[in-house]
Amino acid sequence: MIFALRRILVTVPLLLAVSVFVFLLTDALPGDAADMRFEKHPHLKKEWRERRGMNDPTMVRWWRYMSGVVTRFDFDNSYLDDQPVGRELGNKLQATFELALFALLVAILLGGAVGILSAVFPRTPIDYFGNLLALAGISMPVFWLGMLMIVFAVNVLGLPFSSNRFDPTLDVDEFTTHLFLFESVFRLRFDVFWSCVGNLMLPGLALASIPMAVITRMTRSAMLEEMGKDYATTARAKGLRNRSVILKHVLRNALIPITTITGLQFGTLMGGAVLTETVFSWPGLGRYIVKKGVDGRDPPVIVGGILLVATTFILVNLLVDLLYAVIDPRIRRQA
Amino acid sequence: MKGRRWRTFRRNKTAMVGAGLVLAMVVMALGADWFARFDPETRQDAFRSPPNATYWLGTDENGFDVFSRLVHGARASLWTAFAAVGFALVFGVPLGLIAGWRGGWIDSAIMRFVDLMLAFPSVLLAVAIAAVMDDSSLTTVILAVGIVLVPQFIRQVRAAVLQVRNLEYVAAARALGAGDAAILFRTVLPNCVAPILVLATLSTGIAILDAAGLSFLGLGPPETSPEWGVMLTKAFRYLRHAEQWILLPPGLAISLTVLGFNLLGDGLRDAYDPRQSP
Repeated sequence: MIFALRRILVTVPLLLAVSVFVFLLTDALPGDAADMRFEKHPHLKKEWRERRGMNDPTMVRWWRYMSGVVTRFDFDNSYLDDQPVGRELGNKLQATFELALFALLVAILLGGAVGILSAVFPRTPIDYFGNLLALAGISMPVFWLGMLMIVFAVNVLGLPFSSNRFDPTLDVDEFTTHLFLFESVFRLRFDVFWSCVGNLMLPGLALASIPMAVITRMTRSAMLEEMGKDYATTARAKGLRNRSVILKHVLRNALIPITTITGLQFGTLMGGAVLTETVFSWPGLGRYIVKKGVDGRDPPVIVGGILLVATTFILVNLLVDLLYAVIDPRIRRQA
Repeated sequence: MKGRRWRTFRRNKTAMVGAGLVLAMVVMALGADWFARFDPETRQDAFRSPPNATYWLGTDENGFDVFSRLVHGARASLWTAFAAVGFALVFGVPLGLIAGWRGGWIDSAIMRFVDLMLAFPSVLLAVAIAAVMDDSSLTTVILAVGIVLVPQFIRQVRAAVLQVRNLEYVAAARALGAGDAAILFRTVLPNCVAPILVLATLSTGIAILDAAGLSFLGLGPPETSPEWGVMLTKAFRYLRHAEQWILLPPGLAISLTVLGFNLLGDGLRDAYDPRQSP
């Protein structure tokens, strides 16, 4: 309990620092979206800046911005049309969240399986193949892998490629969130669910390539280390089958380092998704930040988007640390 | 590197493959003018020509010779990656040395800064930096990728310094009357070279990937420059009108170069610190 409390207290100043740092970007970023609007009437721009309170001192604006974010999920208005960007950011965040979670799940299943097999059969063709797969995962640009997958799926397998999150002819008016994958299960709308899974397949597999490599390597080395320990020999000596020694005894102990590395990967996935989302035209947060914020020169989109991703990243890492303490009682006692 | 380490390294086949790949790319980059058959930004007679005796890898939608662009792309990619890692070394190593050596509030301040930087996923941070600089060029990419790499270097160097700072030879240097700066640069730093070298090698691969990613997002050099990320992006955009193999040359070039640096980095780590290897 003390460990958890301390860990949470450390996170608060970090979140504050991140919010200040990101907010300072507002003035540093090119805000040409507004310039274009007021090109013909420069005097209106002054009035517009005044109305938005953009001439107030930075700390005042930061406080106003952050209280809006925390209390109303208000991420300020777009420079382009003065519409609030919060709702759109929230929707895109949910799309990215589902993509990252799906990719992580794929990476855990495939990477874990390959890692265990490599550890059980070290220095065999299985091990070398697993190693090759991991090396390819960290060496290939994820967007190139995505391009190849699209070409293969569309031109070789003749599958339809859609950049939507699900078949747009389906009726989802009743849905309240944009977590379509999860909500469809709760609403027992399995047509939407399977459509979501189908459209997640390609971007999910591509995005999974990076964490899969890391998880494969980590699983292999953690398993090899645990397999050499005395308790594994004891379990074998008392006559247990090899399979149950590995799956029930060794794997359980190897899970601790694997969990940490997996949790850290999730945050990276949320940010790294920007390349995958662009290749697959996935309507996620990363692509929204680049397209609407950077290309459209609209600072509130970039600031809000990065703030959301960084916050998610920090909170996930916090969650992993807490989970880690649940799995391994030694961590709790250290604090 | 000599003696036992060198032998371990030479005997490591995958590390040798990595060294070979890196060496090949460096030779290609240095001799780009000599290897290239045409100027990479001059229109040839044929547009989207298939590979033939004149245009070894065909021509692209601008009529540029793909082989020449690929060769010159090695120069752009390696220069970007080396410059970015150089930037990270120049800022990361001194900060890491100071943090590890001085400790106290300086250490806390530097490490809080590192925590702050690491709170952002690296690709997104690079995108934000490139957006602030608002100038699509290789320099932007170098700075964005370099800044993102800095915290890793600070952490690694600091950890290495903490390991050696209380060892006897450091105390001996002090007893001989050496000042702080002399101890840091002539006694501590040489003993931290191995982990820094490994990190720098692996980071070069990451830098190439990140730079290509920024190009792909349109934050890199202009669309006609011979750069692998740009080539890949354009090949994908014009895929509808072309043969599908045009995705292969730039993609393979990036992957093989990054693979080379990864294998080389793993090999160096095995040679210097066998316990650390996975």
